[in-house]
Amino acid sequence: MNDLTLIRKNLFRKKLRAILLTLSILIAFFIFTIIGSFNRVLNAGVELAAADRLITMNNSGFTQSLPYAYWGRIQAIEGVRNVSHMSWFGGYYQQPTQVVQTFAVDPETYLAAYPEFLMPDDQRAAFLTQRDCLLVGETLALQYGWSVGDRVPLLSNIWQKTDGSSSWEFDICAIYTASVPEMSTAAAYLNYDYYNEALAFNQDRVGMMVVNTDDPMANDAIANQIDAMFANSTAQTDTATEAAFTQAFINQIGNIGLILVYIIGAAFGIILLIVGTSLVVAISERTREIAVMKTLGFPAPRIFRMVLIESVMLSLVGGLAGVGLATLVLKGLAPVLAAFMPGLVVTPGIFGMALAMMIGFGLITGIGPAMNAHRVRIVDALGKQ
Amino acid sequence: MFKQTSAITLMNLRSLPQRAGMSLATVLSIALVVGVLLGFLAMANGFQKTIDGTGSEDVAVILRGGSQFELNSVLSADQFRIIETAPGIAADADGQPLVSAELYVVVDGIKKDLGTEANLPMRGVGLQAPSLRGQFELTAGRMFEPGSNEIIVGEAVLDAFEGFALNQTIRLGTNDWQVVGLFSTGGTVFESELWADIGVVQNLYQRGSSLQSIRARLTSPDAITELEAFADNDPRINELDIFNEQEFYASQSGTLTTVINAVGWPLAIIMAIGAFAGAWNAMYSSVDARMREIATLRAIGFSGGAAAMGTLIESLVLAAVGGLLGAVGTYLLFNGASASTLGSGFTQVVFAFAVTGDSILAGMIMAVMIGFLGGIVPAIRSAYVPLLTVHRSE
Repeated sequence: MNDLTLIRKNLFRKKLRAILLTLSILIAFFIFTIIGSFNRVLNAGVELAAADRLITMNNSGFTQSLPYAYWGRIQAIEGVRNVSHMSWFGGYYQQPTQVVQTFAVDPETYLAAYPEFLMPDDQRAAFLTQRDCLLVGETLALQYGWSVGDRVPLLSNIWQKTDGSSSWEFDICAIYTASVPEMSTAAAYLNYDYYNEALAFNQDRVGMMVVNTDDPMANDAIANQIDAMFANSTAQTDTATEAAFTQAFINQIGNIGLILVYIIGAAFGIILLIVGTSLVVAISERTREIAVMKTLGFPAPRIFRMVLIESVMLSLVGGLAGVGLATLVLKGLAPVLAAFMPGLVVTPGIFGMALAMMIGFGLITGIGPAMNAHRVRIVDALGKQ
Repeated sequence: MFKQTSAITLMNLRSLPQRAGMSLATVLSIALVVGVLLGFLAMANGFQKTIDGTGSEDVAVILRGGSQFELNSVLSADQFRIIETAPGIAADADGQPLVSAELYVVVDGIKKDLGTEANLPMRGVGLQAPSLRGQFELTAGRMFEPGSNEIIVGEAVLDAFEGFALNQTIRLGTNDWQVVGLFSTGGTVFESELWADIGVVQNLYQRGSSLQSIRARLTSPDAITELEAFADNDPRINELDIFNEQEFYASQSGTLTTVINAVGWPLAIIMAIGAFAGAWNAMYSSVDARMREIATLRAIGFSGGAAAMGTLIESLVLAAVGGLLGAVGTYLLFNGASASTLGSGFTQVVFAFAVTGDSILAGMIMAVMIGFLGGIVPAIRSAYVPLLTVHRSE
């Protein structure tokens, strides 16, 4: 019988207690894994933001548009590799509640700005050349059962055509997937020219610009140069990196980070209390036994180590079960939430963090009882009663 | 039976200090579960309360057909002049129709908590606007002067955003504004807005003479049908959507409240399972520690049922104390705390966390359920303690 067998037997000597403690540890790591995964996807936009992409907006706020002419002027700046633009279409399908995130873009420069868009070559060619083409994301196509070749009308809750109608007819000529799982494929893109020429108002304006720089090191200089270029015009600009732009957007929802800290703090607070006190009780119940072991010649450090390994083992059993359960649940949820939370999986990063926390948690809850066991004096313990 | 139960219960509770560690752990873990639940409910309730309080049923909101939100709508000055003559609209003391033309633009405010830019709504209004909001009150300073770069600021904006104190000058986009007044509307969404003269906003944001929404005070809530019929029949105005203001805002609160509840409840229930395991474990140890005591009681004539009830009540008391602690803690920490989020109109809505009586009740029920489920098995076990345990030597 080696130490590990002894530790295992000790751990499960009171089966019910072991099961209950495992359950509560499982819950905490389940919550940690689920929340951690959601948080990762939520912030993926910041992580995945290309280092060389800048976003230029009207500095009076996102509802104010920019003149179409800015597009050409930014292209002329040295160090700028590519400039594209996008305009919010305010699209919906059939009824206002069926919102479709739709943007009017310049197809060629847009696909050059975002190499994450993947589609077959013939579909790419169709999107570049066909005026009434609608490029649709895989998730969106699935949602409405659309396929290439379908004709669909999209309505806009903002724009009107010169004929007074708000409905644009499109030919779905391309469906895109994403090169990164965390990128949403729930949006649709249409040809700016096709949209612009029919507009009843706000013609020749674009929502915002996407600027690719040659060298990310020059980002700041180029951003300043762009903003300076339009400083004395009626539409001043505000240029920021894609990462900063995305972060600001997430922050609009609220202080999510703080909420998550509270939740995970509470979850671990609960098990720290429960497991911590239970282990103290469990070891003090074994005082006499530990004294016997010491009498038999077990050195104190070895006993110390055994108690500590026992608590780490308990933490690992519960924690791994929790991460496992969370993985299963996320697998079930991922297809359902694909439109809002694409790429919802437990990554090695989250698993590694959970594993580190399991070991840390085991050590924290075990150190007190282990020290108590270390301190047990044979005379006192065996002299009792 | 009752006397026996109360005797054992008292004895159990008095001996709690001997089992202080685990009892305290149970209480605190249940407090944390209740705290998480109440925190989420306070967020949902606070947001809901702000939206629900907004809008009165005798005010009509008029937008361009199909535009859904004020932000998307565009109306012309001509349409406004025609609406002014519509039937069903109440008049003020001077006989002028109570109608307000409003322009709604978004400016970047800096959020206090995160220090990043967020969409703050700026409403260009005429001097009629306050009379279309039931509880409008200038709490400091004065109204803006028409034609000037002056704004009045909702009190909620002051709490959640940087730089809007009275008499301060703030730069929004390319323009400087002077804060000349603070207003309250009784905790509604309008308090998350900045108000300025519509003419100035139209000019600075290059909107010509266009507006985005019209608000009209109706002679009665039912008069909205007269207004609708008028708008439908007049060929000079294109298609309009006319909403009852109260319903207009009520329809916007749905998603966020649903999301908060859909996250908060499952989370609290899952955590409750963890706390339940803890409570069970603690009660199990409690029975363990009292084995000889229970056996002795049984030997001198106490019934097994009384022993079981004693254990169950101990568990319920611990849980209730935990629930109460969680409720009080959440109340002290969060109640009234100001937060802001993106409303469905794509602008920030500032709201205050509201720990309500209903949610405290829900939290207490959850706590007591944890106590009951955690205590029931150990309680049954204590009813069947063999009498011979009296003689068991340690």
